[in-house]
Amino acid sequence: MRGWKRFLLPALLMTVPYCAHGKQWAVVTNTGNAATNVSAAELLKMFNGHTRSWPDGKPVIIVIRGSSSEEMQPVLRKLFDMTGTQVHSFIQLHKGMVIEADSDDAVIHFVSVTHGAIGVVDLYSLTKDVRVVKIDGKLPVEQGYILRGN
Amino acid sequence: MQLANRRHELVIGMVLAVLAAVCFGAAVAAAQQADGKAGTLPLTTRSPEALQLVQTAWELNLDQVEQEKAVEVLRKAVQIDPNFAMAHELLAQSSLDPAEQVREQHKAFATRGFASPAERQVIEWWQDASDHKLISAITKMNDVLAQYPHDKWVVFLSTWWLTLQTQNERAVAVYQRSGITDSPGLMNNTAYAYAYMRQFEPAFALMDQYVAALPGDANPQDSYAEILRMAGKFDKAVEHYRAALTINPEFYSSEFGIADTYSLMGDQDRARKEYEVAFKRFPLPELHQVQWKTREAQTYVREGDFAGADKAFQAIADQAHAKHMSQVEADTYRQMAMYQPSPKKTLFFINRADAAIREGKNSMPAALQQERAQVLRARIEANLKSGNRLTAQSELKRLAAMASNSSDRLIEVAWQGAAGAVAFSQHKYDDAISHLEEDTNNPLSLKLLAEAYQKIGDSAGAKRTSQTLASINDPTLEQALVVLPFRKCYPDSGCSGNVKAVSLKK
Repeated sequence: MRGWKRFLLPALLMTVPYCAHGKQWAVVTNTGNAATNVSAAELLKMFNGHTRSWPDGKPVIIVIRGSSSEEMQPVLRKLFDMTGTQVHSFIQLHKGMVIEADSDDAVIHFVSVTHGAIGVVDLYSLTKDVRVVKIDGKLPVEQGYILRGN
Repeated sequence: MQLANRRHELVIGMVLAVLAAVCFGAAVAAAQQADGKAGTLPLTTRSPEALQLVQTAWELNLDQVEQEKAVEVLRKAVQIDPNFAMAHELLAQSSLDPAEQVREQHKAFATRGFASPAERQVIEWWQDASDHKLISAITKMNDVLAQYPHDKWVVFLSTWWLTLQTQNERAVAVYQRSGITDSPGLMNNTAYAYAYMRQFEPAFALMDQYVAALPGDANPQDSYAEILRMAGKFDKAVEHYRAALTINPEFYSSEFGIADTYSLMGDQDRARKEYEVAFKRFPLPELHQVQWKTREAQTYVREGDFAGADKAFQAIADQAHAKHMSQVEADTYRQMAMYQPSPKKTLFFINRADAAIREGKNSMPAALQQERAQVLRARIEANLKSGNRLTAQSELKRLAAMASNSSDRLIEVAWQGAAGAVAFSQHKYDDAISHLEEDTNNPLSLKLLAEAYQKIGDSAGAKRTSQTLASINDPTLEQALVVLPFRKCYPDSGCSGNVKAVSLKK
């Protein structure tokens, strides 16, 4: 018997979770960043280098977790609007603008100490040290959020 | 019944004896706990006795997997100190009575002002989870974890909640980072997290450690059996269940586990005999009673005896109604709707499920919303089955609205599954795939997903999904309705099942 079964339905009567769910992602910024909502179009411009600074003049620094990891590929394709290979080349050419971190915690740490940083992390790694920025008015838990499965 | 009561009295008696022995020292312990030892989640109470009881309950809950005993002890703790907020929270989380879960969560939240900041964070995290405030709940969990990454109880609460959220990979990571290697309870829970990801090798490795850590306890054998069963190793599972009962003949989970396993093996007569023996032998708390009565009812579905299933499920629904357990009642009717061959009867039971939800007695608001979404999904699927596509689409809009107004993963996946089914019925296979891939825990969605992959010519996707579907061994209604017929056809491409030409052969 699994320890401490919490028999709340429908968890009780439904099938057990036997597969890993698709990851849920969140775009985060430094808590000092005044931007609480960004349009999807503006976000793409930041990621593909067309927008280089925030309205307050601070440079945009993109922080992502290992661009070569399989689970990041769909996220990167969406945000950079490029193929996986193109993303990789883009990162190589823009090393000052795009930072690769080796974990979600590292992304959060970098964003939390860098004013203009914007990062992408697993939703379940969120801490109070960063701000979840809305995209087109939507939070990561809402339908239609840019990084949701569909 | 008498045996179980005596066991409870014995446990309480033992706890009180320990309390008497440590009475003097406990006051000191309470003071230390209230201050919060470095790296340890503080527990705030004015009563050293209540503190000791909560610590006992933790051990009973996690390492000894004696949930009912732990609940008894926690009830005593909150009686001694009604302002012991964390004790209320733990009781809310571990109770097997839905009314008590609701009541104690309210009390935990109401008394959190008496607790330390860290305890308040834990209580608010669970309250946020209950209120569908997912981002806030995650943030609070991670903040507590950052403060106490090596505290066994914090690690336990976190891994537990993450597993409830189907974040098994993250639950495993939290366990690994904790560096805790001597907690049998955490070994047990982490093994399940691996098993849910179908990573059976690390799960079995942890089970070996768990058995070695507690050789005289029944639960390690019981857990080993359940994980073996999930992996489809039924005979070995029965061996381990029997080993658990040899260690402790009163360990009813194993007795029912044997019945569940026979049911999954296809021997419904034997399964029902085992259930009957177990029900006669063991008085059960309400929700355990519901769980195994439901599995017993499923044996009729597995052999296609829908009249027998109706009788068994109706008895559960009547019992739930009499005990004012609205969500249980609703979910029972939802299940009855799922196997009905007649669309009229399907609709009848769906309407009854809705009526139970409207009553909403003794259920957390979040749980009722989840149930509402499940029932709506069943309604959409029923409409698709009977060709009422327009009605299905209109109901889908309602479910979409529910999903967009909530951050609840269960509601979200209910919508994804239903949206996938609707898209599939419209032959929009790419669209269907994108939805169904978000609901890969449900055999109904997996079956459609395999077919959709096949329709678009993705043989690898179809094969992978079919393999997953065929290997599901959970004692659930969805498994009975989908996996069993699927296996009859799989991997035979000439079979009349819907998924054709998918072969396991490499």
